Amino acid sequence: MRKFASLIIVVLLSGLLLMTFLSLSTADYDLSEHYINHGAEETKALNLVTAILFDYRAFDTLGEATVVFAVASTIAFLVPKRTASMISARFSIIMQQTTSLLIPFLFMIGAYIIAYGHISPGGGFAGGVILAVITILITVTFGIRYSDRQVRPEIKSFMESFGAMGFVLLGFIGIVLGGNFLANANSTLDLGVKGELISSGIIPHINLMTGLKVAAGLSIMFNSLIKEE
Amino acid sequence: MEQTFLAIAVLFGLGLYIILTHQNLIKIAMGIGVMESAIILLFIILSYRPGGTAPILDADAQAYDLIVDPIPQALSLTAIVIGAGTTALMLALIIKIYNRYNTLYIDEIKKLKG
Repeated sequence: MRKFASLIIVVLLSGLLLMTFLSLSTADYDLSEHYINHGAEETKALNLVTAILFDYRAFDTLGEATVVFAVASTIAFLVPKRTASMISARFSIIMQQTTSLLIPFLFMIGAYIIAYGHISPGGGFAGGVILAVITILITVTFGIRYSDRQVRPEIKSFMESFGAMGFVLLGFIGIVLGGNFLANANSTLDLGVKGELISSGIIPHINLMTGLKVAAGLSIMFNSLIKEE
Repeated sequence: MEQTFLAIAVLFGLGLYIILTHQNLIKIAMGIGVMESAIILLFIILSYRPGGTAPILDADAQAYDLIVDPIPQALSLTAIVIGAGTTALMLALIIKIYNRYNTLYIDEIKKLKG
Protein backbone atom coordinates (compact mmCIF):
# COMPACT_ATOMS: atom_id res chain seq x y z
CA MET A 1 0.00 0.00 0.00
CA ARG A 2 2.78 2.35 0.98
CA LYS A 3 4.70 1.44 -2.16
CA PHE A 4 1.65 1.99 -4.36
CA ALA A 5 0.97 5.44 -2.88
CA SER A 6 4.65 6.37 -3.31
CA LEU A 7 4.57 5.19 -6.89
CA ILE A 8 1.59 7.41 -7.69
CA ILE A 9 3.21 10.43 -6.05
CA VAL A 10 6.49 9.82 -7.86
CA VAL A 11 4.84 9.38 -11.27
CA LEU A 12 2.80 12.56 -10.78
CA LEU A 13 5.83 14.59 -9.70
CA SER A 14 8.00 13.25 -12.53
CA GLY A 15 5.30 14.10 -15.04
CA LEU A 16 5.10 17.63 -13.65
CA LEU A 17 8.90 17.88 -13.85
CA LEU A 18 8.90 16.68 -17.44
CA MET A 19 6.22 19.21 -18.41
CA THR A 20 8.32 21.98 -16.85
CA PHE A 21 11.45 20.81 -18.69
CA LEU A 22 9.64 20.75 -22.03
CA SER A 23 8.37 24.29 -21.56
CA LEU A 24 11.84 25.66 -20.77
CA SER A 25 12.96 28.21 -23.32
CA THR A 26 16.20 27.41 -25.12
CA ALA A 27 16.78 30.95 -26.27
CA ASP A 28 20.24 32.48 -26.10
CA TYR A 29 20.96 34.35 -22.91
CA ASP A 30 22.64 37.74 -22.92
CA LEU A 31 24.81 37.00 -19.89
CA SER A 32 26.22 33.77 -21.37
CA GLU A 33 26.91 35.56 -24.64
CA HIS A 34 28.81 38.28 -22.76
CA TYR A 35 30.89 35.72 -20.85
CA ILE A 36 31.70 33.77 -24.02
CA ASN A 37 32.56 36.81 -26.15
CA HIS A 38 34.32 39.05 -23.60
CA GLY A 39 35.09 36.77 -20.63
CA ALA A 40 38.58 35.76 -21.76
CA GLU A 41 39.48 39.38 -22.59
CA GLU A 42 38.19 40.80 -19.32
CA THR A 43 39.66 38.26 -16.92
CA LYS A 44 42.59 36.96 -19.03
CA ALA A 45 41.62 33.42 -18.00
CA LEU A 46 41.18 31.04 -20.92
CA ASN A 47 39.05 28.59 -18.94
CA LEU A 48 35.69 30.35 -18.89
CA VAL A 49 34.28 28.14 -16.11
CA THR A 50 37.18 29.18 -13.88
CA ALA A 51 36.67 32.80 -14.93
CA ILE A 52 33.03 32.62 -13.80
CA LEU A 53 33.78 30.67 -10.61
CA PHE A 54 36.70 32.74 -9.34
CA ASP A 55 36.08 36.17 -10.83
CA TYR A 56 32.49 37.03 -11.77
CA ARG A 57 30.96 34.85 -9.06
CA ALA A 58 33.88 34.52 -6.64
CA PHE A 59 31.65 35.40 -3.71
CA ASP A 60 29.47 32.35 -4.45
CA THR A 61 32.60 30.21 -4.54
CA LEU A 62 33.63 31.58 -1.14
CA GLY A 63 30.31 30.34 0.22
CA GLU A 64 30.84 26.99 -1.50
CA ALA A 65 34.30 26.62 0.03
CA THR A 66 32.80 27.51 3.41
CA VAL A 67 30.38 24.58 3.01
CA VAL A 68 33.34 22.19 2.59
CA PHE A 69 34.96 23.75 5.66
CA ALA A 70 31.76 23.44 7.71
CA VAL A 71 31.19 19.82 6.69
CA ALA A 72 34.76 18.82 7.54
CA SER A 73 34.53 20.51 10.96
CA THR A 74 31.10 18.98 11.68
CA ILE A 75 32.19 15.46 10.74
CA ALA A 76 35.39 15.68 12.76
CA PHE A 77 33.19 16.79 15.69
CA LEU A 78 30.36 14.25 15.18
CA VAL A 79 32.25 11.02 14.69
CA PRO A 80 34.15 9.72 17.75
CA LYS A 81 37.88 10.32 17.65
CA ARG A 82 39.15 6.90 18.66
CA THR A 83 42.09 5.55 16.70
CA ALA A 84 40.88 1.97 16.12
CA SER A 85 40.98 1.11 12.44
CA MET A 86 37.83 0.01 10.65
CA ILE A 87 39.87 -1.71 7.96
CA SER A 88 41.66 -4.55 9.71
CA ALA A 89 42.64 -6.51 6.57
CA ARG A 90 46.30 -6.18 5.65
CA PHE A 91 47.02 -5.76 1.97
CA SER A 92 49.75 -7.67 0.18
CA ILE A 93 53.13 -6.16 -0.62
CA ILE A 94 52.06 -5.66 -4.26
CA MET A 95 49.32 -3.24 -3.19
CA GLN A 96 51.63 -1.41 -0.80
CA GLN A 97 54.43 -1.01 -3.35
CA THR A 98 52.02 0.13 -6.06
CA THR A 99 50.54 2.74 -3.76
CA SER A 100 53.99 4.04 -2.84
CA LEU A 101 54.90 4.22 -6.51
CA LEU A 102 51.71 6.06 -7.45
CA ILE A 103 51.84 8.80 -4.82
CA PRO A 104 54.45 11.13 -6.46
CA PHE A 105 52.59 11.00 -9.77
CA LEU A 106 49.26 11.69 -8.08
CA PHE A 107 50.81 14.68 -6.31
CA MET A 108 52.23 15.90 -9.62
CA ILE A 109 48.92 15.75 -11.51
CA GLY A 110 47.04 17.31 -8.58
CA ALA A 111 49.48 20.22 -8.38
CA TYR A 112 49.36 20.63 -12.20
CA ILE A 113 45.58 20.73 -12.30
CA ILE A 114 45.47 23.34 -9.52
CA ALA A 115 48.24 25.52 -11.00
CA TYR A 116 46.89 25.48 -14.56
CA GLY A 117 43.26 25.86 -13.53
CA HIS A 118 42.85 29.17 -15.38
CA ILE A 119 44.42 27.96 -18.64
CA SER A 120 43.37 24.35 -19.11
CA PRO A 121 40.52 22.20 -17.71
CA GLY A 122 40.68 21.77 -13.97
CA GLY A 123 40.92 24.12 -11.01
CA GLY A 124 41.06 24.17 -7.27
CA PHE A 125 38.20 21.77 -6.63
CA ALA A 126 39.26 19.02 -9.06
CA GLY A 127 42.95 19.24 -8.14
CA GLY A 128 42.14 19.30 -4.43
CA VAL A 129 40.15 16.07 -4.76
CA ILE A 130 43.14 14.41 -6.49
CA LEU A 131 45.44 15.56 -3.66
CA ALA A 132 42.96 14.19 -1.11
CA VAL A 133 43.05 10.82 -2.89
CA ILE A 134 46.73 10.51 -1.83
CA THR A 135 45.91 10.46 1.89
CA ILE A 136 42.83 8.29 1.25
CA LEU A 137 45.02 5.73 -0.57
CA ILE A 138 47.55 5.77 2.28
CA THR A 139 44.74 5.25 4.81
CA VAL A 140 43.17 2.37 2.86
CA THR A 141 46.46 0.60 2.15
CA PHE A 142 48.55 1.12 5.28
CA GLY A 143 45.90 1.78 7.92
CA ILE A 144 44.79 4.93 9.66
CA ARG A 145 47.56 4.98 12.28
CA TYR A 146 50.30 5.13 9.65
CA SER A 147 48.34 7.70 7.65
CA ASP A 148 47.94 9.96 10.67
CA ARG A 149 51.66 9.63 11.39
CA GLN A 150 52.67 10.52 7.82
CA VAL A 151 50.25 13.44 7.37
CA ARG A 152 49.43 14.66 10.85
CA PRO A 153 45.87 15.87 11.51
CA GLU A 154 47.27 19.17 12.85
CA ILE A 155 48.92 19.84 9.49
CA LYS A 156 45.67 19.08 7.68
CA SER A 157 43.61 21.39 9.87
CA PHE A 158 46.29 24.08 9.46
CA MET A 159 46.10 23.67 5.67
CA GLU A 160 42.34 23.94 5.73
CA SER A 161 42.34 27.08 7.89
CA PHE A 162 45.14 28.56 5.77
CA GLY A 163 43.09 28.01 2.61
CA ALA A 164 39.98 29.57 4.12
CA MET A 165 41.82 32.61 5.50
CA GLY A 166 43.87 33.01 2.32
CA PHE A 167 40.72 33.09 0.18
CA VAL A 168 39.19 35.84 2.33
CA LEU A 169 42.44 37.84 2.56
CA LEU A 170 42.95 37.66 -1.23
CA GLY A 171 39.47 39.06 -1.56
CA PHE A 172 40.60 42.26 0.19
CA ILE A 173 43.06 42.94 -2.67
CA GLY A 174 40.01 43.87 -4.72
CA ILE A 175 38.91 46.45 -2.12
CA VAL A 176 42.42 47.94 -1.84
CA LEU A 177 42.69 48.29 -5.63
CA GLY A 178 39.41 50.12 -6.00
CA GLY A 179 36.76 47.48 -6.57
CA ASN A 180 34.39 45.30 -4.61
CA PHE A 181 35.29 42.40 -2.35
CA LEU A 182 36.96 39.69 -4.49
CA ALA A 183 36.96 41.96 -7.55
CA ASN A 184 39.54 40.99 -10.13
CA ALA A 185 38.70 42.22 -13.61
CA ASN A 186 36.75 45.12 -12.08
CA SER A 187 39.69 46.44 -10.06
CA THR A 188 42.84 48.15 -11.30
CA LEU A 189 44.90 44.98 -10.82
CA ASP A 190 47.48 44.22 -13.55
CA LEU A 191 46.10 41.05 -15.13
CA GLY A 192 49.11 40.12 -17.27
CA VAL A 193 49.10 38.34 -20.64
CA LYS A 194 46.32 35.94 -21.56
CA GLY A 195 47.46 32.31 -21.57
CA GLU A 196 50.54 32.64 -19.32
CA LEU A 197 50.90 30.77 -16.03
CA ILE A 198 51.21 33.94 -13.91
CA SER A 199 48.29 35.90 -15.27
CA SER A 200 44.64 36.81 -14.67
CA GLY A 201 45.25 38.53 -11.33
CA ILE A 202 44.15 36.71 -8.19
CA ILE A 203 42.49 33.73 -9.96
CA PRO A 204 45.49 31.32 -9.73
CA HIS A 205 46.06 32.29 -6.09
CA ILE A 206 42.42 31.69 -5.17
CA ASN A 207 42.65 28.38 -7.07
CA LEU A 208 45.63 27.37 -4.93
CA MET A 209 43.84 28.30 -1.70
CA THR A 210 40.72 26.38 -2.75
CA GLY A 211 42.84 23.38 -3.71
CA LEU A 212 44.58 23.30 -0.31
CA LYS A 213 41.26 23.66 1.47
CA VAL A 214 39.44 20.95 -0.50
CA ALA A 215 42.37 18.52 -0.22
CA ALA A 216 42.65 18.98 3.55
CA GLY A 217 38.87 19.00 4.05
CA LEU A 218 38.22 15.80 2.10
CA SER A 219 41.03 13.87 3.76
CA ILE A 220 39.80 15.04 7.20
CA MET A 221 36.28 13.87 6.24
CA PHE A 222 37.47 10.44 5.07
CA ASN A 223 39.77 9.84 8.04
CA SER A 224 37.00 10.85 10.45
CA LEU A 225 34.43 8.58 8.80
CA ILE A 226 36.71 5.55 8.77
CA LYS A 227 37.37 5.70 12.53
CA GLU A 228 35.15 3.81 14.94
CA GLU A 229 34.85 3.22 18.64
CA MET B 1 16.73 16.79 -26.17
CA GLU B 2 13.28 15.42 -25.26
CA GLN B 3 14.67 11.95 -24.56
CA THR B 4 17.27 13.44 -22.23
CA PHE B 5 14.59 15.37 -20.35
CA LEU B 6 12.60 12.14 -20.03
CA ALA B 7 15.71 10.33 -18.71
CA ILE B 8 16.30 13.12 -16.17
CA ALA B 9 12.66 13.00 -14.99
CA VAL B 10 12.83 9.19 -14.68
CA LEU B 11 16.13 9.37 -12.77
CA PHE B 12 14.75 12.01 -10.40
CA GLY B 13 11.57 9.98 -9.85
CA LEU B 14 13.64 6.86 -9.19
CA GLY B 15 15.63 8.65 -6.49
CA LEU B 16 12.44 10.00 -4.92
CA TYR B 17 10.87 6.51 -5.01
CA ILE B 18 13.91 5.03 -3.23
CA ILE B 19 13.68 7.71 -0.52
CA LEU B 20 9.93 7.18 -0.01
CA THR B 21 9.81 3.38 0.04
CA HIS B 22 13.08 2.09 1.48
CA GLN B 23 13.68 1.63 5.19
CA ASN B 24 17.46 1.33 5.13
CA LEU B 25 19.21 4.63 5.88
CA ILE B 26 22.15 3.88 3.56
CA LYS B 27 19.71 3.29 0.70
CA ILE B 28 18.00 6.60 1.44
CA ALA B 29 21.39 8.34 1.21
CA MET B 30 21.88 6.57 -2.15
CA GLY B 31 18.48 7.83 -3.33
CA ILE B 32 19.46 11.40 -2.52
CA GLY B 33 22.66 10.81 -4.52
CA VAL B 34 20.62 9.64 -7.52
CA MET B 35 18.46 12.77 -7.35
CA GLU B 36 21.59 14.95 -7.23
CA SER B 37 22.92 13.21 -10.35
CA ALA B 38 19.66 13.97 -12.16
CA ILE B 39 19.98 17.66 -11.31
CA ILE B 40 23.60 17.79 -12.51
CA LEU B 41 22.55 16.08 -15.76
CA LEU B 42 19.88 18.76 -16.18
CA PHE B 43 22.51 21.51 -15.82
CA ILE B 44 24.70 19.84 -18.43
CA ILE B 45 21.88 19.39 -20.97
CA LEU B 46 20.78 23.00 -20.49
CA SER B 47 24.28 24.24 -21.32
CA TYR B 48 24.57 22.00 -24.40
CA ARG B 49 24.49 23.49 -27.86
CA PRO B 50 24.70 21.20 -30.89
CA GLY B 51 28.23 21.33 -32.33
CA GLY B 52 29.64 23.53 -29.56
CA THR B 53 33.09 23.05 -28.02
CA ALA B 54 34.08 23.11 -24.34
CA PRO B 55 34.29 26.64 -22.85
CA ILE B 56 38.09 26.63 -22.78
CA LEU B 57 39.51 28.98 -25.36
CA ASP B 58 42.80 29.21 -27.22
CA ALA B 59 45.38 31.89 -26.50
CA ASP B 60 45.05 33.26 -30.05
CA ALA B 61 41.84 35.23 -30.69
CA GLN B 62 38.49 33.51 -31.22
CA ALA B 63 39.32 30.11 -32.68
CA TYR B 64 35.86 28.63 -32.20
CA ASP B 65 32.53 29.92 -33.47
CA LEU B 66 30.24 27.96 -31.14
CA ILE B 67 30.93 27.38 -27.44
CA VAL B 68 28.63 25.69 -24.94
CA ASP B 69 27.18 27.84 -22.14
CA PRO B 70 29.73 28.05 -19.27
CA ILE B 71 27.34 29.27 -16.54
CA PRO B 72 25.46 25.97 -15.94
CA GLN B 73 28.82 24.19 -15.86
CA ALA B 74 30.02 26.48 -13.05
CA LEU B 75 26.72 25.88 -11.23
CA SER B 76 27.01 22.11 -11.64
CA LEU B 77 30.50 22.28 -10.12
CA THR B 78 28.92 23.97 -7.10
CA ALA B 79 26.23 21.28 -7.03
CA ILE B 80 28.83 18.49 -7.08
CA VAL B 81 30.80 20.01 -4.18
CA ILE B 82 27.68 20.62 -2.07
CA GLY B 83 26.48 17.08 -2.94
CA ALA B 84 29.74 15.56 -1.72
CA GLY B 85 29.44 17.59 1.50
CA THR B 86 25.85 16.57 2.22
CA THR B 87 26.60 12.90 1.42
CA ALA B 88 29.54 12.89 3.82
CA LEU B 89 27.43 14.54 6.53
CA MET B 90 24.59 12.04 5.98
CA LEU B 91 27.00 9.11 6.30
CA ALA B 92 28.48 10.56 9.50
CA LEU B 93 24.98 10.92 10.99
CA ILE B 94 24.13 7.35 9.89
CA ILE B 95 27.27 6.10 11.71
CA LYS B 96 26.10 7.98 14.82
CA ILE B 97 22.58 6.47 14.57
CA TYR B 98 23.98 2.97 14.09
CA ASN B 99 26.24 3.32 17.12
CA ARG B 100 23.29 4.41 19.24
CA TYR B 101 20.48 2.08 18.06
CA ASN B 102 22.46 -0.82 16.51
CA THR B 103 20.20 -0.85 13.45
CA LEU B 104 19.93 0.99 10.15
CA TYR B 105 16.17 0.45 9.61
CA ILE B 106 13.84 3.37 10.27
CA ASP B 107 10.87 1.32 11.49
CA GLU B 108 13.03 -0.50 14.07
CA ILE B 109 14.41 2.83 15.30
CA LYS B 110 10.83 4.10 15.64
CA LYS B 111 9.89 1.00 17.68
CA LEU B 112 12.88 1.47 19.97
CA LYS B 113 11.75 5.00 20.72
CA GLY B 114 8.31 3.70 21.72
